[in-house]
Amino acid sequence: MLEYVLRRLLYMLITIFAVASILFVIFRLLPGEATLQVISPAMDEAVQERMKAAFGLDKPLLQQYFIYLKNLVSLEWGRSFVSARRVIDILEYRFWNTVLLMAAGMCMTLMLGVGIGMVMAWKRNGPIDIIGTVTGLIFQAAPPFVTGLLLLMVLSYRLGLFPTGGMYPPGQRPDGVLELLFMPEFWHRIVLPTITVGLYYITTPMLIMRDSMLEVLGSDFIELAKAKGLKPRVVMIKHAARNALLAVVTLASIMVGFAIGGQVVVEALFSWPGMGQLMVESAASHDYPVAQGTFLMLAILVISLNFLTDVWYCYLDPRIKISASGLN
Amino acid sequence: MPEGFERGLLARITRTVGEHYRIIHANPLSRIGFWVVSVFTIVAIFAPWLAPHEPWAMQYDSEGSIASLRPPSLEFPVGTTHLGYDLFSQLILATRTTLIIGAVSGFISIVIGANIGLVAGYYGGKIDEILMRLTDVLYGMPFLPFIIILIALFGRKLEFVILAIVLIIWRTSARVIRAQTIAIKQRQFITAAKARGCSNLRIIYRHILPNVLPLLLLYAAFNIAWSIITEASASFLGFGDGTTISWGGMLYELWLSGKTRVAWWWFAAPSLCIITLVTSLVFVSRAYEEVANPRLRKR
Repeated sequence: MLEYVLRRLLYMLITIFAVASILFVIFRLLPGEATLQVISPAMDEAVQERMKAAFGLDKPLLQQYFIYLKNLVSLEWGRSFVSARRVIDILEYRFWNTVLLMAAGMCMTLMLGVGIGMVMAWKRNGPIDIIGTVTGLIFQAAPPFVTGLLLLMVLSYRLGLFPTGGMYPPGQRPDGVLELLFMPEFWHRIVLPTITVGLYYITTPMLIMRDSMLEVLGSDFIELAKAKGLKPRVVMIKHAARNALLAVVTLASIMVGFAIGGQVVVEALFSWPGMGQLMVESAASHDYPVAQGTFLMLAILVISLNFLTDVWYCYLDPRIKISASGLN
Repeated sequence: MPEGFERGLLARITRTVGEHYRIIHANPLSRIGFWVVSVFTIVAIFAPWLAPHEPWAMQYDSEGSIASLRPPSLEFPVGTTHLGYDLFSQLILATRTTLIIGAVSGFISIVIGANIGLVAGYYGGKIDEILMRLTDVLYGMPFLPFIIILIALFGRKLEFVILAIVLIIWRTSARVIRAQTIAIKQRQFITAAKARGCSNLRIIYRHILPNVLPLLLLYAAFNIAWSIITEASASFLGFGDGTTISWGGMLYELWLSGKTRVAWWWFAAPSLCIITLVTSLVFVSRAYEEVANPRLRKR
């Protein structure tokens, strides 16, 4: 187990390093001045020259690359063109907002998806099964901005049940995550984005859970449990669902990769002050240091979550460990 | 070219097409999906002739005033925008953009994914290790943010949207096809082909490829669907091609105009198109899912 975790950890670091390198190359491929990445073209000519030297941009490319890597590790991610604040400080605040929304969405997706998938398999070919499959496929095909806009139009504009966006009322910025969590306005505002993210990702765990459940329900130990006279509910949850859950975990890592995309759209739609919204804003205003930092941070988030799901899966299914070490 | 060869090729193409037609028609959902996708394709091909108006031309009503924010009517079947643009024409022309993006990125990405998967799975060892680490790196790339960055840096052009989609999206197909290739590689007919002295390339493309084809088509359909959703999302955020109209772009205009509170038709039309097309593609893919994984047929 430990050997497996360590190897995955090493791969994770290599992947982050590779993504950072790709980012370096992309920003160097920029048409025109490569210095756009750190120096705003709006500045004075002489100042630009001075900054070029300060950032080491007059040095050869390879040396610049090493400086870039060193700065990444020492968290010197530059300053925003727009607000002149340090990128790392902006990101620190945004990071937790994204994680909060993502966690809420994932919880809803997994709990509802697994629950509904379980019932669908138990009452196979019943109305719940058919309705679940069809609505699931429709929500999967609806991009998150369509679902989000629909929710906004019906629940916010027409019925006035929820605020249209933001994370807290204007002018009441809380001092920290803890204070935020105790604000009722926060919980009121997180509902719509959570439902939007949740509905987009619910289909995969739901259908996988259903299929995996059906497979488990066909096995002998379920027959035995039923024959023992256990209550159907106990057989469904304690015996069948527990074993069927493994397939959902496998999928979690793939979902995580996609979840970031939906996150960006939802944050932009509901003006949620997270990294996704920052990504859109900074790219639209050509605030390159922020755009680059945000992208890297999102990538690190995806890669770490992939790592965690891998390790979790290995913990649940020890066979993985054996086959993984058998490969090399 | 000898006549016989041509006839042979034609017969083979007809047979292959017929075979796929049967696969799709065996499943009722796939059949519906197939026809819906066909209708969208026809609309896309004939879009400039089908659209009654220019997409960005102000329309006037009989009294001579601008037809602004009209709900659906006989004259404007899906209504108009706040600037009096005909949404029906926009919708038809956007079908073309969406299908081009879906088809081109779906095709290129499956070619890349299939080749990487086949080569990695067949040769194994160092080559496999390198190609799969590359795939892992791509799994670490957030998809939509990557498109946003590319578009922000290089400009709002269709080519860059497609390029960004293709660069990332092949990763899933490569992994899946590699796994399938490894399974097929161990079968006896491959050993027999090797014993006959077939070259590696011949084994990969003549013996293994036909066996992963259902899986490949399944992922081709998925890739097209994902490309369409991704392009729509990028366009909605303002990172699509600014000069061609797309369904996501139409919703972006709606969002920018701030008319979301009133113009339900402006929201409904492009949204329904996206959902219908993507759902149909998923339905078509289900037919291949059953071929690729026969165990599903029982359910």
